[in-house]
Amino acid sequence: MTRQWTGPEVAAVAERLVPGAVDRSTPAACYLKAEKLVETMAALHAAGETDFVHLTNLCGVDFWDHFEVVYHVQSFVNNAIACIKVDVLDRDRPAVPSVCSVWRGAWMQECETYDLFGIRFEGHPNLHRILLWDGYPGWPLRKDFLSMPGGLQPGLDEFSGTKRREPPPVSVAE
Amino acid sequence: MSGIIKSEPFTLNIGPQHPSTHGVFRIKVKVDGERIVDAEMVMGYLHRAMEKLAEERTYTQNIPFTDRTDYLASMSNNLGYVLAVEKLAGIGVPDRGNAIRVIMAELQRIASHCMAVGAFTNDTGAWQTPVMWCFRERERVLDLFEMTSGARLTCNYMRIGGVAFDLPREFEPATRKLLADLPGFIDEIEGLLVGNEIFLARTRGVGMLSAETATNFSLSGPMLRGSGIAWDIRKADPYCGYEKYDFQIPIGYQGDAFDRFIVRLEEMRQSVKIVQQALDALPGGPHSTHVPLALRPPAGEAYARVEGPRGELGYYVVSDEGPSPYRFHIRPPSFINLSALKEMTVGGTVADAIVVLGSIDIVVGEIDR
Repeated sequence: MTRQWTGPEVAAVAERLVPGAVDRSTPAACYLKAEKLVETMAALHAAGETDFVHLTNLCGVDFWDHFEVVYHVQSFVNNAIACIKVDVLDRDRPAVPSVCSVWRGAWMQECETYDLFGIRFEGHPNLHRILLWDGYPGWPLRKDFLSMPGGLQPGLDEFSGTKRREPPPVSVAE
Repeated sequence: MSGIIKSEPFTLNIGPQHPSTHGVFRIKVKVDGERIVDAEMVMGYLHRAMEKLAEERTYTQNIPFTDRTDYLASMSNNLGYVLAVEKLAGIGVPDRGNAIRVIMAELQRIASHCMAVGAFTNDTGAWQTPVMWCFRERERVLDLFEMTSGARLTCNYMRIGGVAFDLPREFEPATRKLLADLPGFIDEIEGLLVGNEIFLARTRGVGMLSAETATNFSLSGPMLRGSGIAWDIRKADPYCGYEKYDFQIPIGYQGDAFDRFIVRLEEMRQSVKIVQQALDALPGGPHSTHVPLALRPPAGEAYARVEGPRGELGYYVVSDEGPSPYRFHIRPPSFINLSALKEMTVGGTVADAIVVLGSIDIVVGEIDR
């Protein structure tokens, strides 16, 4: 069975390898500070006890007032997986350092996250819109990208007991 | 000769409408003479915004979307998604449901690898005959799916908490007959191709990837195992009771296109073994637990992965206690396996690039989602 690292466990190792790298931790994930992200990831990749050689999954999540970038990293030798996150607070110009220098497998997934969320990955060798075309209006997976062209809204209201989500708690730019 | 004939690089467009790109996928290669000096991938022609649509549908309504990502392995995609939701909501599955899931996922692997092997031999120049033989066997698997779920390609068979229907009575004899025939078919394909000098010349030493490179590029599935890393989610992180079945992980030693082909063939043999064991020990009882239609999992997140035919197929689902996922992310194996395409093609010839692309075994529905 794969060992699932908890947030505090990852935080303890990361803090020891790179002092001041950890922002906070929850049971599920360890939140790193963006300015020390690449250094910490490289250290977690190289250290024997973590040995996170394989970046499995990278994606973004929009929480209205901030974004999270989620990294699932795993070790083959130790058969372990961990979830590491970074908060992106600036909604107007969201940016995170790119981890392409640590795992080249991040190349495509960072492009995808940029394409759909508009989060810039600084230091990425070729950040471009990989699925949509250049000049596509808006960033589709953001929560404020509400309606599709033509004003269509897929509905949950047809089902009893299901309702569309409440409007956002923050003001949203059109 | 050098200095007399001067060559200059020019751009060659492969795809998007080209049989060798296995769908609407385009590679812009820059060639100098016949050698590729640069390769750029263009994708997104099939983008259907599934991750966005899923945020406005209930958890159960999202299952058909997963069919349509990797349409050659709809059962595996269903399975990955329902496992993620079950992990999020803490729902258990009866033993019979788990055994049926294993049978379906392994039959799907056989069907998908038939397609992969057939299309790959087509790309190497074994024009049409092997692919038709593979399709013949794949049809028989699809017949089993039709018998069980009512659909051949987009099965929509797994449900949160189990499977949609119990197995029909005629399923077991038909499956046993297929399992009896499959080893002979795999031997036949192997005998046809493995000793073939043209096939070896086209695939040996083409698209080489070392174990370190394959790991660093986040590859998974037969791509990773072809490079010699014995990593299989079914063994490493068993789900649906895979720890009960006896099977082995085939690996390659060189990491070339031929090794990935051999790994797929051997995986089909292992899948036959697994289905046989699952059928022999098929438990009785219910095939599914009751789950409310408007499921509201507790707030949180879950990342569940299965070993799909193309590699690690992950689903990342975030819940805010609403009736639909707050965030629904698919980790598509063939999209991420493509990240090594440039590494494998640059320096080779255009004909080798086609073989390399065939050996990755892409499904464009999954790349673009």
